[in-house]
Amino acid sequence: MKLNRRAIFGTVTAGALALSLAACGGDDGESSSPEINGTGASFPDAFYAAAIEGYADVNADAVVTYDAVGSGTGKSDFGEGLNDFAGTDSLVGEGDGPEEGSYQYIPTVAAPITVSYNLPGVEALQLSQETLAQIFQGDVTTWDDPLIAADNPEAELPATEITIAHRSDGSGTTSNFSMFLDEATESWTLGAGDTIEWPSNSVGGDGNTGVAQTIQDTEGAIGYVDLADATESGLVFASVENADGNFTQPTLEGTTAGLEGAVVNDDLSYNPLNAAGPDAYPITAPTYILIRTEYEDAEVGQAVKDFVEYLLTDGQELAAEAHFAALPESLQQQALDALNETIAD
Amino acid sequence: MTTVTQGGPPDLSGKNLSLRRAAANRAATIGIGLCVLIAAFPLILVAYQVVVRGGSAIGLDFLTEEIARNYRTAGGGMGPAIVGTLLITGMAALIAIPIGVLGAVYLNEYGKDRPLAKFIRTMADVMTGVPSIVMGLFIYVAYVLVIGERTGFGGALALACLMLPIVIRSTEEMLRLVPDELRQASAALGARKWRTTLSVVLPTASSGITSGSLLAVARAAGETAPIIVTVGLTYLYRPDLFAGQNTTLAAQIYRNATQPFEASQERAWGAALVLIAIVFLFTILSRIISARFAIDRR
Repeated sequence: MKLNRRAIFGTVTAGALALSLAACGGDDGESSSPEINGTGASFPDAFYAAAIEGYADVNADAVVTYDAVGSGTGKSDFGEGLNDFAGTDSLVGEGDGPEEGSYQYIPTVAAPITVSYNLPGVEALQLSQETLAQIFQGDVTTWDDPLIAADNPEAELPATEITIAHRSDGSGTTSNFSMFLDEATESWTLGAGDTIEWPSNSVGGDGNTGVAQTIQDTEGAIGYVDLADATESGLVFASVENADGNFTQPTLEGTTAGLEGAVVNDDLSYNPLNAAGPDAYPITAPTYILIRTEYEDAEVGQAVKDFVEYLLTDGQELAAEAHFAALPESLQQQALDALNETIAD
Repeated sequence: MTTVTQGGPPDLSGKNLSLRRAAANRAATIGIGLCVLIAAFPLILVAYQVVVRGGSAIGLDFLTEEIARNYRTAGGGMGPAIVGTLLITGMAALIAIPIGVLGAVYLNEYGKDRPLAKFIRTMADVMTGVPSIVMGLFIYVAYVLVIGERTGFGGALALACLMLPIVIRSTEEMLRLVPDELRQASAALGARKWRTTLSVVLPTASSGITSGSLLAVARAAGETAPIIVTVGLTYLYRPDLFAGQNTTLAAQIYRNATQPFEASQERAWGAALVLIAIVFLFTILSRIISARFAIDRR
């Protein structure tokens, strides 16, 4: 009898043991200020991760997590009330989740999208907006095309065929890049969006790193990659013609210069693509944090406010190291004002 | 049985085989040996890789410290993920194993070939083929969205859903192996059916049930997709499954391994080694337990 009962016990022990063992290992994780969770865009993750680390150094009690699950998931989580703030590269559209009036955009940083290429022997390449459109829609198929030669009178261009490297997944980078070509040029016919019907001389890659890899491996390849990944992969980027007609390299200074020229809407969304200014780099992607206009728990609201305030002030200094451009001061101030207005102390 | 062999036992050494049969025997033996080697090769390679790559990451700090907030820089540990794995998998086992075992008892001892039992059996078979992400999304919709927070318990529910069909089917197979003579003997001694089931059938099958349940636990401990959807992310020790986001080793492996940074990839290997070690430990523990409590069937 006694043995039998113990035998039954034995059949479920695996589970019970797991629990009792785990109970021994548990620590008390309580902290005085509430933990806040953000989910969303992966594009600014490098910056947010650095900022969360920096924030922990300044404010040891505060706990912030940011889960880079993509802008789309971030927005739907926001709509479902699963996160305390969301990160997104694109604006909230209909059916994305968050209800009209329930959120406020807070721009945090921006980063350039590079036009990276692999052409041994050509170390500096200049591309006008028109040429860029012709290349990416497959009308220009070799590197020694007169259109490219006209932009680069001094370069010796080989007759190598052009291979377009693009994102195979739906991507905010694709969206911003195609939106730039769509807005800036007359001849661009492929439209704008998270996915594009690319011409036949193109190769898809998964994520920014996938595109970077394709460019690295393929002679004659050209593609669009965010600055952080392009730099880390050691790619060469072209100078792109900006709205003022100057050829500029994708640098953080050029990006910040581009932000200064951008028109900021009342809701703090802005479009930094092809912004005016002599030094502005034309292909710049913004990124935002969505904060709630109403927090059920005022302490959570305060914690979100403290963190976002840090992002907009001391946190901005961490941006450059992670290859992101800080906001110009005017926009920083606008964002701070909106933050103070949305979440009252 | 009835034929009597003359002059001692038959010669089974194979020395007297014809040349053709000897050759066939040799070829088959070599073939089987090769297959074993081929089957073991990836397993050994995986274990070797994980130990070599993960070994350098592991230390006392790695096992106890909080998780690094930044993938890009070295440092930090996996303590919260280890606790999270044990708690979430343990809670899932606590939910799934009793229900699964009792369900299997119903199927084999009471339901047998009734329509309801047949239906449950078929559904359990179908459920074993459902991708884990579907279970994760189901719990996301049915639990996470309802309570409005990602928690460890949501992950435990998703894992329990995954384990349940495995536990039911493996336990039923084990109960079926228990000879009917044992049940009849117990009945002949005047035991009621519940007493027979509790005192004879389950203990006899206990070692098989344990290994089946353990298989389910091991599978659950390595699940990533449903955990990511239901549990969220934390850097801190989170012993409370019902409030606050959590994390597990499998989720940490996924998150760190998909980053292009050396520090995070090393962390992923380390976490993989810890996860394998935990599953290994549980396998040994449960073997010992089931060996100790199983009824000697000689």
